[in-house]
Amino acid sequence: MQLSENFRIAVSTLGVHKVRSLLTVLGTVIGVMSVVTIVSIIEGMNEYVSERLVAEGSNTFYVDKFGMITDYEEYLEALKREDFTPEDARAVERLSPSVLAAGAVSETQKTVRYRAKSVSGVNVQGVDEKYRFVESGEAVGVESGREISREDVLRRKAICVIGQDVKDKLFTGVDPIGKEIRAGRHRFRIVGVGERKGSLLGMSQDSYVTVPISAFRKAYGTRNPVYLVVKARDQASYDLAQDETRAVLRARRKVPFSEPDDFSIMGAETFMELYRSFTSTAYLVTVGIAAISLIVGGIVIMNIMLVSVTERTREIGIRKAIGARRGEIMVQFLIESLILSGTGGLIGVLLGVAIALFVSGVSPLPAAIRAWAILMGLAVACGVGTFFGIYPAARAAKLDPIVALRYE
Amino acid sequence: MDNLIELRGVTKVYQVGAEEVHALNGIDLDLTSNEYLAIMGPSGSGKSTLMNLIGCLDTPTSGSYRFKDQEVKDLSDDELARIRNKEIGFVFQTFNLLPRADASHNVELPLIYAGVSRAERRTKVDAALKAVGLEDRTRHRPSELSGGQRQRAAIARALVNEPSVILADEPTGNLDSKTGEEIMQAMEKIHRAGNAIVLVTHEEYIAKHARRIIRLRDGLIEADELV
Ligand SMILES: Nc1ncnc2c1ncn2[C@@H]1O[C@H](COP(=O)(O)OP(=O)(O)OP(=O)(O)O)[C@@H](O)[C@H]1O
Ligand SMILES: [Mg+2]
Repeated sequence: MQLSENFRIAVSTLGVHKVRSLLTVLGTVIGVMSVVTIVSIIEGMNEYVSERLVAEGSNTFYVDKFGMITDYEEYLEALKREDFTPEDARAVERLSPSVLAAGAVSETQKTVRYRAKSVSGVNVQGVDEKYRFVESGEAVGVESGREISREDVLRRKAICVIGQDVKDKLFTGVDPIGKEIRAGRHRFRIVGVGERKGSLLGMSQDSYVTVPISAFRKAYGTRNPVYLVVKARDQASYDLAQDETRAVLRARRKVPFSEPDDFSIMGAETFMELYRSFTSTAYLVTVGIAAISLIVGGIVIMNIMLVSVTERTREIGIRKAIGARRGEIMVQFLIESLILSGTGGLIGVLLGVAIALFVSGVSPLPAAIRAWAILMGLAVACGVGTFFGIYPAARAAKLDPIVALRYE
Repeated sequence: MDNLIELRGVTKVYQVGAEEVHALNGIDLDLTSNEYLAIMGPSGSGKSTLMNLIGCLDTPTSGSYRFKDQEVKDLSDDELARIRNKEIGFVFQTFNLLPRADASHNVELPLIYAGVSRAERRTKVDAALKAVGLEDRTRHRPSELSGGQRQRAAIARALVNEPSVILADEPTGNLDSKTGEEIMQAMEKIHRAGNAIVLVTHEEYIAKHARRIIRLRDGLIEADELV
């Protein structure tokens, strides 16, 4: 018997019980849907993050005195270590041939006020004269005014450069240059406005106030850690730049030969690793959810197929009496559960894609629809249908024709 | 003439709980390929049991049943299905049509299982429905047909694969006598066309259509007479 006949029979019988069929495949729908949605969002984030990291130059790495702290003891220990200073950045620049530039930065969150207006949660950064160059590259400069200079740092001037968001929120139709703002309880005079940087993963990059690091530490104390941001000459000298930086800093901090570093170096790859471990956890959770709902869905399909076989005992008897072989009955019911779960998979894919697109539409999360995720979802759904369909189909195929014909 | 069907000492014992029901107690029966046989006998005498055996829906407990010189006991499940499909046409008292399929699809089913091509199926289905006078009811489902029409659709289904023998277990049992008579006319036509027929009935006037009548009692052939 041709497969097309089986498909026709299956579609027409499933059509009779539309609501039941729909409820039957709910588990499959949810399983496939969650896979497609989450995979799309994670893939979208991957794309975005790796693009960003490449764009920002993975030639940049960070140095701080804490590193990956795992317990409080360690934290207290690290707290006692010497802070980095702009002079460390200068030394790294001077003594490491593979380093293009190095900057120092320390940051905190403050509410920033100008007259009656205020913006909260602004990133207040104490920087040296190189930081902005290292951090954003030459592409992003100031829109008006000037950058923070070496002299500003040395003389601890209470001046600042503000980001576009701060300008937009505090100064409508007023030139901010020369005005005095308050960041927390401290006053800074604006000398420049930074160019717009845009947003990263939905977080604005323009909500900042940068002040000379010396002024920052005077105003906000020395508890905020100072990072060094180091830019290698190019991708090829990246590893070498890290080694050189390490050597320079160990010497400056007089770390004995036998002791480990009292600071830690984190490159883009460190963040990438962190990010990957996060996404692989997310993947694992998704696979878990999907597996559970697919198994539950499969059991529901098996159950309903068993009911269907019982309901159609007489039909099976008739088919056998007029010459259907075991294999043909088996295939008929297998195809039925295959279509059932395949349809569930298809609905799941459509819903998953729709949700992913919706989420990326209303939130900053990007979405990347992957063909492999869709195909895998469909394949797994069909696999579940076939697997859980085997037992009911075998039951149908094994029925004794006379017993089946007599069935009331 | 070779026998189409040959039963020797056939018995059928049903196990119901601890009890054994002897439905057939040693049947010898020969049937040639153009016979028209009626089986009669009181209720419970084993008529349906015998028909199911002849129709390869069931196998004997002991004895030998040869269909076209093949021992049915030795056949596999799929080979039995093949015989039911190609060699035997069933007509049941309760019609046994698929309720959700229309008349022409019901008639088409044996051809589908026989692997006949779509085009050929179409001509054969049309011919079979025409032979029973249902050519204007092809799109009707069983629920949209009268009892007589349903039975005629079932006869068309039994005919469509050009089987060696038609087995009809009380084909008129659920019909009034006039409709029953129509069905018997259709059977007569089929027999004239060269088909062997085995018919189970309670009614003498129905049995009279056959050329030969056997009477069962308690699972044994009590009489075997030509009409
Ligand atoms: N599946 C079965 N299990 C147990 N006993 C059965 C089964 N089928 C038939 N029998 C018994 O076998 C005997 C013969 O039954 P069968 O159906 O062949 O009778 P019948 O001649 O067709 O009767 P009727 O004219 O009422 O249809 C009966 O006693 C019946 O109870
Ligand atoms: Mg009977």
